[in-house]
Amino acid sequence: MQLDDIKKLATLARIDMSESEIMEIAKDFDAILSYVGQVKEATKSISARKDLAEEFSLFNVMRDDAVTNKEGAYSEKIIKEMPDTQDGFLKVKQIL
Amino acid sequence: MIDLKNLTIEKAHESLKRGDYSVSDLVDAYLEVIKKGNPDINAYIEIFDDLKEQIKIAEKMRKEGKATLMTGIPTAIKDNMLVDSHIASAGSNILKNYKATYDAFVIKQLKSAGAILLGRTNMDEFAMGSSTETSAYGNTKNPLDVNRVPGGSSGGSVAAVAMNGALVSLGSDTGGSIRQPASFTGLVGLKPTYGAVSRSGIIAMASSLDQVGSIGKTVRDAEILFEAINGYDELDSTSVPKEKRIKPSPMRKRIGIPKEFLKSKGIDKSVLENFEESCQKLEKIGYELVDISLPLIKYSLAVYYIIMPAEVSSNLARYDGMRYGLSVEASKLYDVYAKTRGAGFGREVRRRILLGTYILSHGYYDAYYNTAVKSRSAITAELNSVFSSVDAIITPTSPSLPFKFNEKIKDPLAMYMSDLFTVPVNIAGIPAMSIPSGKTKDGLPFGLHIMAPAFREDILFAIGKDFEKLV
Repeated sequence: MQLDDIKKLATLARIDMSESEIMEIAKDFDAILSYVGQVKEATKSISARKDLAEEFSLFNVMRDDAVTNKEGAYSEKIIKEMPDTQDGFLKVKQIL
Repeated sequence: MIDLKNLTIEKAHESLKRGDYSVSDLVDAYLEVIKKGNPDINAYIEIFDDLKEQIKIAEKMRKEGKATLMTGIPTAIKDNMLVDSHIASAGSNILKNYKATYDAFVIKQLKSAGAILLGRTNMDEFAMGSSTETSAYGNTKNPLDVNRVPGGSSGGSVAAVAMNGALVSLGSDTGGSIRQPASFTGLVGLKPTYGAVSRSGIIAMASSLDQVGSIGKTVRDAEILFEAINGYDELDSTSVPKEKRIKPSPMRKRIGIPKEFLKSKGIDKSVLENFEESCQKLEKIGYELVDISLPLIKYSLAVYYIIMPAEVSSNLARYDGMRYGLSVEASKLYDVYAKTRGAGFGREVRRRILLGTYILSHGYYDAYYNTAVKSRSAITAELNSVFSSVDAIITPTSPSLPFKFNEKIKDPLAMYMSDLFTVPVNIAGIPAMSIPSGKTKDGLPFGLHIMAPAFREDILFAIGKDFEKLV
């Protein structure tokens, strides 16, 4: 992996990183990616196995979008955790 | 003096019932051990300041005859479980001062049972690690040998019980984080079926793999704690309603051994020898052991180290310095994000987020993530088909004995190999348990790993109890 690729990933993931860590991660990535690359080999073994019925047991679970607590029951606690607030609102840096 | 070393939940329950001692006496006995042992072991990050109120509630339940087995039982809680108005930091700097605004489902269950929540235990940051060395709050030492790691990520939860600083504890297990540390400290650790225990209020690592489970000195203790937290919860959409769970059926007393898988590289000779002895013990008490073939299981670790970081990168996007947790001041919005996450996350967490970002990025998504998801369903199908002929599958829990500090932390791949035997269970969503299977002559513990079909925790407990008598 090139250092620029790792830098780009760090930007995408919104993580400030030092040059030295980026170099270290590039090295780790080569080892990790070559290990997990085994899954390509797995695909070959799997397509050769006719006995394995595909298991797709995934489905969505929905519930009503209903209010279940008293209005404002958690507000104070949640606002207290916010780094910056004004008049009970979360305050963030200018976006545009 | 209460004999904490040999205390079990049922013994404590009987003593409390008889009035040999009160809940307050019992809690005091544990606090005394913690006061002496914790500065060195570092099992707990914090002891809760509301123990008096908790004791009052438990005493009242006992007096009014409303006590359950868990009433008044001192329990340690992993730092990634929300306890209302207490800090839950997941072993990370980014949540150093974060106070939970509600109770996790498992905490609600324990509170209504009148259990005593002693405090929160140390863990690998966001549960990413196998040694508890990635915690932002220092290393936890293995009470059986303080030069060695307690395993991870639930290292604090096992150390708390192993040093007799709690009777039982809760851990979470994404790839082995309950079972491997239980094995490293000579304890029983249960990872229940995916969907058995609600994760509402648990700080997520990899949501398709995470599960909460129990840790104790005996199989029965782990079983009692599991029963207290087991149940359906509509706040976790993966929670399975009771009527949809597979019902117990009689055991055939037949256990499968994946011979080929045990020939994987990097397994200690002593671990294999101990496993051989465990097999002989089980045969002696009437279990039939059969060789089984699981040709795909060897890909589990590779599949895991694709799916897990992918989910990590998306789950941890929420820590952005905006709504809670650490927030580093900067003039631009982007810089607040990047500086907060750079300063708040530790090295291993940063590495896994980047890995996940890469795996999910355009051009690599198909080659890694999609391929891993397909392999996962094939591995699951293969395991499930084997269960039509055996009750359970056994392997060692960890390929190595408890290792020393700094032995593996610099080499991520070597650390990841710790999960070799435990990961297939999370991949397939089935339950598994590690139980002590003896010690080396230097006193380092081995663990036997038992896997069962989905919702058949009863099989794990039955085999575990049979085996426990022999060790």
